[in-house]
Amino acid sequence: MDFSPPEFTKEQEEFAKEVNAWLDENMPEGMTFPRDPLKVSHEQFEKRREFARRIGRKGWLYPSHPRKYGGGGLDAAHSAVIMREVAKRGLGLPPFHAAGAAYGVPVTLAFGTEEQKRSLLPPILRDGAVTWELFTEPEAGSDEANQQTNALRHTRDKDYFIVNGTKIFVGGLYSPPDIFLLLTRSDLEAPRHENLAMFLAPANLPGVEIIPLDLFVPGPFGGVSGQSTVGADGIKYQVNFDDVRIHESYLIGGERDGWKVANAALEVEHAVRQDRGEPRGAFVGASPRNFIAQRFLERCKNDPNIVKRLKENPQLVDSVVNVYIGAEKERLYSIRNAGRKGGVYGGTQAQLYSKVFALTLLHEIAKVLGPYTLTSDDEWGLDDSLFEVGQRGALCLAPMGTPEITKIVIARLLSIGR
Amino acid sequence: MAIDLNLSESEEMLRKGALDFLRRDAPNKVIQVLQGTDTGYTEDLWRKTAGMGWLGIIIPEQYGGTGNSLTSAGVLFEALGTGPLPGPYFSSGILGSLLVLEAGNEKQKKSVLPDVAEGKKILTLALTEPEYSWEPRGIQLSAEKNKDGFVLNGIKLFVMDAQAATHLIVAARTAKGTDPAKGISLFLVDRKSEGVSVRRLPGFLADSTFEVKLDSVKVPRSAVLGDIDGGWPALKQSIDKAIPVLCAYKVGGCQALFDMTLQYSRTRIQFGMPIGRFQRVQDMIIEMIDHLDAARWSTYEALWKLDTQRPAAESIHLAKTISSEAYWEVCNLAIRVFSGIGYSVDHPASFHLRASRRLYSYLGEPSYHRQQLGQLLMA
Repeated sequence: MDFSPPEFTKEQEEFAKEVNAWLDENMPEGMTFPRDPLKVSHEQFEKRREFARRIGRKGWLYPSHPRKYGGGGLDAAHSAVIMREVAKRGLGLPPFHAAGAAYGVPVTLAFGTEEQKRSLLPPILRDGAVTWELFTEPEAGSDEANQQTNALRHTRDKDYFIVNGTKIFVGGLYSPPDIFLLLTRSDLEAPRHENLAMFLAPANLPGVEIIPLDLFVPGPFGGVSGQSTVGADGIKYQVNFDDVRIHESYLIGGERDGWKVANAALEVEHAVRQDRGEPRGAFVGASPRNFIAQRFLERCKNDPNIVKRLKENPQLVDSVVNVYIGAEKERLYSIRNAGRKGGVYGGTQAQLYSKVFALTLLHEIAKVLGPYTLTSDDEWGLDDSLFEVGQRGALCLAPMGTPEITKIVIARLLSIGR
Repeated sequence: MAIDLNLSESEEMLRKGALDFLRRDAPNKVIQVLQGTDTGYTEDLWRKTAGMGWLGIIIPEQYGGTGNSLTSAGVLFEALGTGPLPGPYFSSGILGSLLVLEAGNEKQKKSVLPDVAEGKKILTLALTEPEYSWEPRGIQLSAEKNKDGFVLNGIKLFVMDAQAATHLIVAARTAKGTDPAKGISLFLVDRKSEGVSVRRLPGFLADSTFEVKLDSVKVPRSAVLGDIDGGWPALKQSIDKAIPVLCAYKVGGCQALFDMTLQYSRTRIQFGMPIGRFQRVQDMIIEMIDHLDAARWSTYEALWKLDTQRPAAESIHLAKTISSEAYWEVCNLAIRVFSGIGYSVDHPASFHLRASRRLYSYLGEPSYHRQQLGQLLMA
């Protein structure tokens, strides 16, 4: 056995020099990386978008996707180098919320026509289009199939679908996006799971209204627990559709294939978790140990105030040990998955664990650090508000499936009772 | 270098061989009987395991063993833990052997280890006393020097496999001072020595744990393993190396419980459907995964670090903390799923229940190892 973290080959390190030289020339000036994604300004967001356009033209925005559709056509080894070097500079690929692309690109490759691949993918892969995934609705959260947003064929212009409905808890920094990956109900009579349609459509169509939601969560914990919060969503939105006309050329798969396409998107998510060997949402290039846990443990050892507090309150050392053990388990699950020993459940179970652990982690940290974990004050906040953001982020359990839904998925994967 | 969690070809063969052995020679009925005996083994089983080289798995070839790594020992003991196979395999083949290797002089190694590998000598460590501590201050049994050697007086309590052992490795205090880690010596004591009495402790969950009384037991100077007064470092080193192998045994237990519970969820029908369709049952099985996989990978990482001479202290304490709690909790969860039939003394869940409780505190309870972790994290 070998538990050593993977090292890059000489060839990869040479390529890393090339990547760094390009980044030195092309990273926009004056980029900042606030710990709290809600503090990313519109100006900063535009710098991220500019970076995405530049790196997309290079073919490195989505380095492993096919070249003919705007990707880089690179192998995993080279893709990993690009992602690592970009991560060192505090960014991810893409450098903004991109759930729509993460799911939309693979499902278009799987279910789209060649014409769709050539027309719909280059704006995302090459031109840096911001793509939102619009699945969740007020009545379709965990029960994703219970779509109420209708996309029905126009009675006269039959090559158009007319969309009416509401999506909620979607999107990320900032609006408006360029493209929607939109799940809808396309048939009011057909049985459940056979009545849905998926579109990869422009977001700027008449009748679309985007309203920011006022939420306290900065994004999924996996996004806020890394060295940077670029993976976090920041802001969520409600999107209303009022007689929006979408051409059938944006329909991915058949008119009633939406559930099949949506499930394929979820399969991609599971595979990505397993391949990366990390809990879903963990920031690429982050410390092997949960970043918030790591920073906390360092403070317990090096911060004189905390060292004194622990000496005077030895019962609190138990919390420090709990953090260590929990973070080690999370790390070991990543290693298990990277070593492909997670069986059918590895990626999903690691995601479940990370979410549940996040709640324990921040609770234990609060026992030791007290109200310091609650403030983002410039003078008294700790680690650029890392723990304050973490406290809010830990409660963001719904994205990519609640822990309860995740357990149902694991039960199915294991065929418990089947 | 890359992460590689696969077993080597020889480790895979060892694992398969051990699982086949259990299926063939130690199925459930045999394990139930063995758990009821004072020694936990039969001569036939002992001879077979000696013949396969398992009793000397970590003993270097020059001392009659097969010279395998600790990871290989872990693979073997994980397989044995699926039974869970009782008997002094760990006490003698792992911990006892390590103590002689770490503390003994060349003459002692040559005279003891080949017999251990062949199964002719069976060792067990007698460390804990009525105060019950795995720290040096817990070792108070006195060893007074006389002209011929030493005289041992005191009680060792919760000693594993004392009835099966031919020799006890007794940790005793030969000198008192301000540092309790100094003044400890290790004595290789023939269990049949005058003054040694062994009594099995009653209690279904106590399994094969024993009281050992040493009443003016005379031992020669040559019975001291290593240096007089300087036994603690070798004792600690041996225990540290042995712990992850013990953890692997618990991983095997957790794996067996998970497998049998998953299978039961598919076959037990209530309310017209397999009970695994109910989410409350699913939750318990899913919770098992967390315990099982955390125990497995913390254990094997600790073994890897020891085998590759990497700093391993944190990993050892982590693995012991996790696997002890894991085996305990997975037993609880399994018995909750099995419900009534899980209470039966002939159900394998009850075999693992006894093992999980007996081994929970052995070589340090989780709170002890957590305390050690706390000290390391604050250092």
